[in-house]
Amino acid sequence: MGELSETYACAPATERGRGILISGDAATSTIAYCCGRSVVLRRLDAPLEAEAYGEHAHAATAARFSPNGEWVASADVSGAVRVWGRRGDRALKAEFRVLSGRIDDLQWSPDGLRIVASGDGKGKSFVRAFMWDSGTNVGEFDGHSRRVLSCAFKPTRPFRIVTCGEDFLVNFYEGPPFKFKQSHREHSNFVNCIRFSPDGTKFISVSSDKKGLIYDGKTGAKIGELLTEDGHKGSIYAVSWSPDSKQVLTVSADKTAKVWDITEDGNGKVNRTLIPPGSGGVDDMIVGGLWLNDYLVVVSLGGTFNVYSASVPDKEPVTFSGHIKTVGALACVPLNGQKTILSTSYDGVIIRWIQGIGYAGRLVRKDNTQIKCFTAVEEELITSGFDNKVWRIPLNGDQCGDGEAVDVGSQPKDLSVAVQKPEIVLVATDSGVVMLRGNKVASPINVGYTVSALAIAPDGSEAIVGGQDGKLHIYSVNSDSLTEEAVLEKHRGAITVIHYSPDASMFASADTNREAVVWDRVTREVKLKNMLYHTARINCIAWCPDGRLIATGSLDTSVIVYEIDKPASTRITIKGAHLGGVYGLSFVDENSVVSAGEDACIRVWRLTQQ
Amino acid sequence: MSFRMKNASSGMGVADHSRDTFVELQRKKLHRYVIYKIDENKKEVVVEKTGAPGETYDDLTASLPEDDCRYAVYDLDFVTEENCQKSKIFFIAWSPSTSRIRAKMLYATSKSRFRHELDGVHYEIQATDPSEMDLDILRERAN
Repeated sequence: MGELSETYACAPATERGRGILISGDAATSTIAYCCGRSVVLRRLDAPLEAEAYGEHAHAATAARFSPNGEWVASADVSGAVRVWGRRGDRALKAEFRVLSGRIDDLQWSPDGLRIVASGDGKGKSFVRAFMWDSGTNVGEFDGHSRRVLSCAFKPTRPFRIVTCGEDFLVNFYEGPPFKFKQSHREHSNFVNCIRFSPDGTKFISVSSDKKGLIYDGKTGAKIGELLTEDGHKGSIYAVSWSPDSKQVLTVSADKTAKVWDITEDGNGKVNRTLIPPGSGGVDDMIVGGLWLNDYLVVVSLGGTFNVYSASVPDKEPVTFSGHIKTVGALACVPLNGQKTILSTSYDGVIIRWIQGIGYAGRLVRKDNTQIKCFTAVEEELITSGFDNKVWRIPLNGDQCGDGEAVDVGSQPKDLSVAVQKPEIVLVATDSGVVMLRGNKVASPINVGYTVSALAIAPDGSEAIVGGQDGKLHIYSVNSDSLTEEAVLEKHRGAITVIHYSPDASMFASADTNREAVVWDRVTREVKLKNMLYHTARINCIAWCPDGRLIATGSLDTSVIVYEIDKPASTRITIKGAHLGGVYGLSFVDENSVVSAGEDACIRVWRLTQQ
Repeated sequence: MSFRMKNASSGMGVADHSRDTFVELQRKKLHRYVIYKIDENKKEVVVEKTGAPGETYDDLTASLPEDDCRYAVYDLDFVTEENCQKSKIFFIAWSPSTSRIRAKMLYATSKSRFRHELDGVHYEIQATDPSEMDLDILRERAN
């Protein structure tokens, strides 16, 4: 059976110019954020245990724990709110169509009976408050004319709701049933976040005009502001109160987070400024922040979490990150003596992961190009993107050196490197196959059919090219040309991937018709067939280091592991490995396989024999 | 002695022996499985192979050709949720996608006539590749 052993979760989806509102559950130190269609719940004290909830039909935007910690309410861009149980099988309690457009923020009332949601109502209501189990409305929320970016529920009685939005207004509602009471137009730009203090005496609004204003919690009157001395120099995207209601954390586009002391007269003074480590680019703008128990969590635009300690201000933050976009390729290479998993996504982000520890940093390249095909050997990365170039980037320990690009004439569709002779690389393009020796094109080879996948043997003597018609052509490799030796016909769809086994005695091929076949390399006979158990195209194949097991990953979100010596029907199936499809697979050792997919997460599975 | 019966759709008859073998499987439990083939020369459905009661489902799967159609009958023994030992008969129409179109058509049109003769089949499965007649699928259908 295959059991999940580690999850390297994705990072929250971010957008330039907007903040993200993450939330948490103080009782279990868990944070909740959204990426793509998944809602990720992650424990701050055990970051490798992340759970993803994937039941939304549209991109999820916000998720909040109920006050008693048993339920989660999550919202998406279609205006739907799902309330589901946090434990066990995440049973759905209710689903409501709350707004007609995207929901930006939602909050539970402190007694857990009502939920307020705000967002883009497309001309109709922008804010709605409703009972959590029946969905009946509990008030009329007029007063906004543009998208409402944030809303908050007063945590103590008498209940109040405050909202703020793109029309620069901060509105105050009394109830239940909630009715408009007053409005403030003190901000001069989008008001991004509004939050009540945990004791309910004050609330604070922060805006893209770099100001933060503090109001009285019961009456709604403005009482003070965050003093501009040493204040933020960029839009403030989010604010979070400390559990004792005496301090707030704000995060801003000026790449810093600040902790403010809120004095009795309602003004805020900067206590300290936190500057997370970063390369200084746009990706370091901080778009989300949360104060949870002793943790100060800040999230940057690039998706990096920095967790500071509130009680020990000078401690270095714990940094971790993940992918935001679909992970397209995985490779396991030893880096610095340690077995590292490298994952890449099409936006050019390469992340290193170490089993048991998790995030081990990003590989920063000098030329940050997009990546479509990726392969790695011990001292080099070979990537290609959407232009006509293939990049060879040397690895010095865990840093990237200067890469060199080779132009191959058209967009590469597949890459393969001869593991024992890494200067030979074969590239498949629309017009044929190109052989690279070192950084030069040895020769372009016109094969006469449309190539869809290829592989070169580890010793560089043989290559297999798969065509759009499902035929496998075997060539022997000369110094600058290929000589065809045989054609194998068994597949009934375009070949998607071909891989030699680590000892090169066998090779495996897979196609778009959901079939995989293992062949003996010398006799070119079929060794294992009937590997037809997927229900959609097979995207990736991986061999176990000793050649005993082979794993296939498919668009149908499952990973199937077969044993070479046993019939295909005795297989191990891992269902639902990645929402949206599995795109990368690799074995870390004889019993663990790591998979990556469209949900931007990477999971390590432990295989046990029945 | 075999005699022909009229089949409006394809003219295939059903040999008596085929029916008798099925009754032996059903009543006397003499076989675990029976594989039937359409003999085009004699224009009828005949028994190609039978399996002893000790053989398994894997033996049946191994006996089916990869690129030609067959009919098969299999007696599945299983234990239900309430812990009773039960046995159900499955009719499997094996029609792999790699077989010739003429064979697929022949077997498809003769199937209903043939099924009519086999009285007492509990479940029918149509399989176009080995993954569709996996033992798990049979177990799931049986209750």
